[in-house]
Amino acid sequence: MDNKTVTMAHGAGGRQTSELIDEVFKAHFANPDLTADDAAVLVPPTGKMAVSTDGFIVSPAFFPGGNIGKLSICGTVNDLACMGAKPMYLTCAFVIEEGFPMEKLEEIASAMEKTAKEAGVRIVSGDTKVAGKGQVDGVFITTTGMGEIQDGVQVGGELAKPGDAIIVTGDVGRHGCTILLAREDFGIDADVTSDCAPLWGTVKEVMDATHDIHVIRDATRGGVGTVLYEIAGQSNVGIRLDAAAVPVAPGVKGVCGMLGLEPLYLACEGRMVIMAPKSEAEKIVEVLHKCPYSKDAAIIGEVTADQPGKVVMTTEIGTQALLPQPGGELLPRIC
Amino acid sequence: MCVGLSAKVVKISDGTAVVDAGGAKREVSAQLLGDLEPGDYVMVHAGVAIAKITDDDEDETDQLMEELL
Amino acid sequence: MEEKKKTAREIIEGYQGPPVRIMEVCGTHTHEIFRLGIRKLLTPQVELISGPGCPVCVTPVGFIDEAVYLALEKKATICTFGDLVRVPGTKKSLADARAQGAKIRIVYSPADAEKYAAEHPEEQVVFLSVGFETTTPAGCLSVKKAKEDGISNYSLLVANKTMPQAYQALKGSADVFLYPGHVNAITGTKLCEQLAEDGVSGVVAGFTAKELLTALAVALVRFQEGKPFFVNCYPRVVKEEGSPEAQKLMEELMEPCDSEWRGLGVIPGSGLVLKKEWENFDARKKYAVPPIQGKPNPACRCGDVLQGKCKPSDCKVFGKVCTPQHPVGACMVSNEGACSAYFMYGN
Repeated sequence: MDNKTVTMAHGAGGRQTSELIDEVFKAHFANPDLTADDAAVLVPPTGKMAVSTDGFIVSPAFFPGGNIGKLSICGTVNDLACMGAKPMYLTCAFVIEEGFPMEKLEEIASAMEKTAKEAGVRIVSGDTKVAGKGQVDGVFITTTGMGEIQDGVQVGGELAKPGDAIIVTGDVGRHGCTILLAREDFGIDADVTSDCAPLWGTVKEVMDATHDIHVIRDATRGGVGTVLYEIAGQSNVGIRLDAAAVPVAPGVKGVCGMLGLEPLYLACEGRMVIMAPKSEAEKIVEVLHKCPYSKDAAIIGEVTADQPGKVVMTTEIGTQALLPQPGGELLPRIC
Repeated sequence: MCVGLSAKVVKISDGTAVVDAGGAKREVSAQLLGDLEPGDYVMVHAGVAIAKITDDDEDETDQLMEELL
Repeated sequence: MEEKKKTAREIIEGYQGPPVRIMEVCGTHTHEIFRLGIRKLLTPQVELISGPGCPVCVTPVGFIDEAVYLALEKKATICTFGDLVRVPGTKKSLADARAQGAKIRIVYSPADAEKYAAEHPEEQVVFLSVGFETTTPAGCLSVKKAKEDGISNYSLLVANKTMPQAYQALKGSADVFLYPGHVNAITGTKLCEQLAEDGVSGVVAGFTAKELLTALAVALVRFQEGKPFFVNCYPRVVKEEGSPEAQKLMEELMEPCDSEWRGLGVIPGSGLVLKKEWENFDARKKYAVPPIQGKPNPACRCGDVLQGKCKPSDCKVFGKVCTPQHPVGACMVSNEGACSAYFMYGN
């Protein structure tokens, strides 16, 4: 391709639009369901179908451990996986800022190809728009995913029961920490990479091991802490958390110490919170430890009948204290 | 009022120190502390090493309790 | 045979002495005490009062108005600690100003603000210099660096405060002060010893669970003895003389002035201002900021909360209109603020 950056002409619908689509997107997304027609014609799943849509506007678009392309596949695939749905199809819409480097776009598309392949999902329809300089920040991607609900699994945020064990599939807060360091100029150097990963494979392994699971939720924006409060509310149960059992990577812990942040409230992009009867918990953790993205999975607490709606932590001195409720924008505190 | 962070000095040069707190490294001012060496522990606030410290709170608390009772 | 020694925690949990009011002066203490569930260990005789030691909380509304004025009217790039961004001004917070296009950057250190100014000579950069003795040296160092670097687009909007006068103002509010360890790391302990001689008791406390429990236990045991006392329970960080280098630095650049504290009013000599020879770095002078009289929301009782006159939950707007998402007063904004701690951790 001659042009090194995306121009308004690439979004005008003419020859250059076709070129962009052919050379960048089709080259990476090609599959029998992706055609040049106005809409994809698909065979629906035999059972129930889950649909989820998500917009991605991460700044910076490239970060240690991934980029917006990888994120746009993982986010939607993981939302489907949380419903026990095997991802089948995905659509994606790009809004690209005029002047965006073509090479970077290519890199994003390539990450999407790789991640989609790993997640077993086909990109069946897409759209590209170019916005004037300054109207968007680099590139925004919206993806919509469709997945087939697997037989015999019923999970939902309202199904947590007292006595359930709470499992987190890995160390918390890495994506949020990575983005914070990449975006802001805090001068902090830490060995932290995003946990961004497609988790359908992981969820499938767990579901193959047991169908006795009540809640699966991916801890994205707001982190694990927000998920716990959401589920405590939805299921009207209390949650007891063992602060010492929550896995946190040393780098994340260090950064949080410096900036006065709580790792439980930093975003993850490759972590699930699973709630299941205690009898199943060890088995689930054992399975998780064999999966590629959940080697640090741990039981971090349990669901209780008392203090419904609240998340109570057992602190380092053995006292019980409420986990602070999720606040607004995460602001590093210094004073 | 002042979030302090205890961190280990890993590098010293010309009024600044690189400190490490659990894997997170950051350059801070060492201008308030004259005699820092790599391996020392400091209390850091808002990008300034404000005090040279011992890293462990055991001794001080044990001794205080000893004196108290 | 000697009785087995009690642990700090046993002393706290078993306290049956006379009623005692302990004021944690420092916001980080308030926060850690909640985080660690220490209030649950206390017997009914012990009352913990959250004092005015959060610089964000005591910074008056007018200061936010000045910062918003610089950001929107003078188009300055505002560099600030994260805590100040959502504090409501009379009409707008810095977050509101940002939504209107103002450039607001969150920094970890004033040194980063100075560096940003050096790298962006086309911008006018103002650092919002709040904080007590712990934080003031960082701002001073950034000004000295700017002078050395020959940078003319960097200045401070100063609202730094000093603690001694506040202790005097708060003397009657508590029986024992839990002194802010990191302020004492700079100022030393002479003033605290002086206060003990004047009948005001206190302990300097550190910030780990062990340090906090120990300081509280020491305070309770010594309080029962009935005489005014002072104990430095944070000796690994706090020395008697404090940090002479930091004291010298502050004296070189700053001088005392009267200063308004949210809730406490104007306390004579409790603020700092850049000396005349450094006034090129004083944003108020540099941009001729007009005098601004901030108007706090009349329903907000941050002032009473800061003086320990009422609990956050006694305020009519607490938890209803005023939440961390939509703070009315500064005590709800800062993580360290008493209202925020009460809201987030429950009563």
